[in-house]
Amino acid sequence: MNKKVNAGDPLMLLLVFGMIVFGLVMIYSASSYTAGLQYGNAFYYVKRQIFTVIIGTVMMYMISRPDYHRILKYAWPLYGIALLMLAAVFLIGTASHGQKRWIYIGPVGFQPSEFTKFILIIFLAAMCSAAEPLMKKRKGIILMFLCVMPAAAMVMATNLSTGVIILGVSFIIIFTASRKWAPFFALTGMGIAMMGVFLKLAAYRLDRIEAWLNVETHPKGYQTRQALFAIGSGGLFGCGYGKSIQKLAYVPEAHNDMIFAIICEEWGLFGAIISILLFILLIWRCAVIAMAAPDLQGALFVTGVMAHIGLQMMINIAVVTNSIPNTGVPLPFISYGGTSLVFLMCEIGIVQNVARQGKGGIS
Amino acid sequence: MQIKIYHRRKMLIMAAFIVGIGLLLTGRLVYLMIFRSEYYQEQASALHERERSIKAARGVIYDRNGIVLADNQSVCTISVIHNQITDPERVISVLSDVLSLDETPVRKRVEKVSSIERIKANVSKELGDKIRSYQLKGVMVDEDYTRNYPYGTLASKVLGFTGGDNQGIIGLEVKYDQWLKGIKGAILTVTDARGVEVGHAAEDRVEPVPGNDLYTSLDYTIQCYVQQTAQKIIEQKEAKSVSVLLMDPRNGEILAMTNEPEFDLNSPYTLPGDGPIENHQDALNRMWRNGCLNDTYEPGSTFKIITSTAALESGSVSLNDRFYCPGYKIVEDRRIRCHKIAGHGSESFVEGLMNSCNPVFIETGLRTGVEIMYQYFHKLGLMEKSGIDLPGEAGSIMHQIEDVGEVELATISFGQSFQITPIQMLRAVSTVINGGNLVTPHLGVKLVSETGQIKKLKYEYHQNAIGRDVSDKMKMLLEKVVAEGTGKKCYIEGYRIGGKTATSQKLPRGSGKYIASFIGFAPADDPKIVGIVMIDEPVGAYYGGTVAAPVMREIFENVLPYYLGEQPEIINETGDGNE
Repeated sequence: MNKKVNAGDPLMLLLVFGMIVFGLVMIYSASSYTAGLQYGNAFYYVKRQIFTVIIGTVMMYMISRPDYHRILKYAWPLYGIALLMLAAVFLIGTASHGQKRWIYIGPVGFQPSEFTKFILIIFLAAMCSAAEPLMKKRKGIILMFLCVMPAAAMVMATNLSTGVIILGVSFIIIFTASRKWAPFFALTGMGIAMMGVFLKLAAYRLDRIEAWLNVETHPKGYQTRQALFAIGSGGLFGCGYGKSIQKLAYVPEAHNDMIFAIICEEWGLFGAIISILLFILLIWRCAVIAMAAPDLQGALFVTGVMAHIGLQMMINIAVVTNSIPNTGVPLPFISYGGTSLVFLMCEIGIVQNVARQGKGGIS
Repeated sequence: MQIKIYHRRKMLIMAAFIVGIGLLLTGRLVYLMIFRSEYYQEQASALHERERSIKAARGVIYDRNGIVLADNQSVCTISVIHNQITDPERVISVLSDVLSLDETPVRKRVEKVSSIERIKANVSKELGDKIRSYQLKGVMVDEDYTRNYPYGTLASKVLGFTGGDNQGIIGLEVKYDQWLKGIKGAILTVTDARGVEVGHAAEDRVEPVPGNDLYTSLDYTIQCYVQQTAQKIIEQKEAKSVSVLLMDPRNGEILAMTNEPEFDLNSPYTLPGDGPIENHQDALNRMWRNGCLNDTYEPGSTFKIITSTAALESGSVSLNDRFYCPGYKIVEDRRIRCHKIAGHGSESFVEGLMNSCNPVFIETGLRTGVEIMYQYFHKLGLMEKSGIDLPGEAGSIMHQIEDVGEVELATISFGQSFQITPIQMLRAVSTVINGGNLVTPHLGVKLVSETGQIKKLKYEYHQNAIGRDVSDKMKMLLEKVVAEGTGKKCYIEGYRIGGKTATSQKLPRGSGKYIASFIGFAPADDPKIVGIVMIDEPVGAYYGGTVAAPVMREIFENVLPYYLGEQPEIINETGDGNE
């Protein structure tokens, strides 16, 4: 263990807070009109998001203080809590957009699936590291996936896209921890095949495929169609901050899952590329920190965070640009949304702790 | 545990994978935002922009002296936009109060969740302004025009009226629709997804272009008098309808045209009477029908003017030729009666015309021959539509020339067995008496645009369709008809009047239904006005000379001093209209 404590990764913090502030600015632009209509307060969503950012910052700071090994020690109990919460959603959950995904404790809403993502990264990092010798064999890989399955299955029951992200993040952590290659190619093949079967079986998902292929005409393609109008209207440099018209209730969830469309409309291709560039920089910082991590648990954890941010960014932008069928995934750090942001910031907190203990020189 | 080389390699692979996908998505964005940009921008604009059209003011219709016959009235349409209402109770109370409507229906409309709900249309401008002064949010006061006809029934079948979308329905309003209607303007506003206009977005406004004003040859004063007279005759004779047409024979300008009963242009869908009506639309069409040009009739004895013209100019008869009328004439196997059963005895051609003697004209027609007769029908415009600038003109119904035998020719000669419209008849007579020039009857004189550009309307004019000599002879003959013959009930002291009577049997023959008509003109030596009076199905006396001639006299007595004497300069300025 490296006892030398450095300053962590200030560049990553700068990127994260830059994105959060940009997110606030864009949430205001995207939501002020609809919030004014719905709540009579144009700042409704921004205020809530600022509150979330404060909570997230505090939690991030607190979680970055103790040595991450101490947190990773509680992998099993934490995973147990996450499973309980997921089970609780089925019993006392509140529906939003037609799916039970929320638990309310008083006025504070909470999405266990977002918490699960965070816990699962901790869990897998700790387990894969502890069972490192076993991970060289196929048995280890299967064991790890079996551990993940209860959580992934429960999430998937209500929220396909979060389930896919959980599986994707798990896959990447296990893949990184293992020496083997072949089983992962097999798994990828199986995953694609299973996805096909799943889509064939669940008719309402097929509807989404139809909407995806005929986005201009299909009634369920409305949201994506509106997003495309917004993106296309942006052109090279966009129509300018605050001047989006598609946000005038045309694009549903303009401040949330669809915020990237409004970024494109107001800032153009220029702004869109800069946004993607920020994510790529963040991924690069994650990779740097993972490579320089003091041990495997730290490296796997940071890899998991990288996968989490990267996958969500990919899926979000792919949905908004109609590159894949529509599914609701927020854009990390930028989209409106409490639970997602708070746990992302917690992850960043631990990543900072890993960075602080890492070998600063390697990049 | 220590990090191994393969761990690092796999981390890098995953990072590269994510970055790679990020680059692919960037490529997708480049495609969408550069190559598809125009397409999506268009789609988005079409979605965002609402085009509210602004009605263009329709052109005014004037008579020849600049009296307004049709103009526009500003009215308001009051509507509410549910989503923009902030104080529904106040809106309900103000609207029901100002518009004097019951509260319940107003409340229903205000509380209905719809994009826009109309409360009341055709609200006067004062009330519209009053509502506007309350500055109620979500209440729209849209200004609008409706057509207004200041004289109601005046020349209703000629002027016509317009429909809800400012389009002409009948009459001049249809014929000149493209000139009168103007070009709609538009207000382009940006709306949100619910269709609510967004205040801060820029408004594009395209101003409407008002329609052209139409100056007609109608004379308000004459038209008024003619209509009053026609109304009186309808009552006196219990006739089905009375048509009167007055025209300047020199250029075809129509001074007055009526086909009583007329209807009120300001409520053109109100049928007369209150009995149940079987087919509403048919009844309306009947009410709107202009018998002067939409319907054909057998002209009867007035057609002897045409037969005479053909016979005289072709030299088939001369004025002093003598004929004998025993009260009938046998043609092939048919015995055709004269209206005077005892017969007129021996008479000259001139006397034959004065007596309107059928056997004389049968003889004349047979002598002239079908070829020459038809040649003159063509010359006098009877084989074609008159070309009047009103919609729905009927064409003539004539025998095919090959099918005309002796009997047919005989009946044609005194105006039976074929049908023409009154306007065609008047046009032919105008040609006979104006020195031989075929004119086009018309109402429109000129169009004046908002910017003052004048477009004079031109009509066909054939010089010397027939010779001046025969024209002079015919004027002399027709003056005699009025001075001494069957038309003497149209004689007015101090004026030289020419004319011809007619009594047409309506088909089927023997039904006892007649059209009594009279064609007259003045001054007989240099006609400046020609007119036709037609009384359809008079009860009691039905002879044209007895029934129709006095009507023409009454009209001429009153119109001639005004038209010829007091304002003779109008005649010289025809075609310019009057400001």
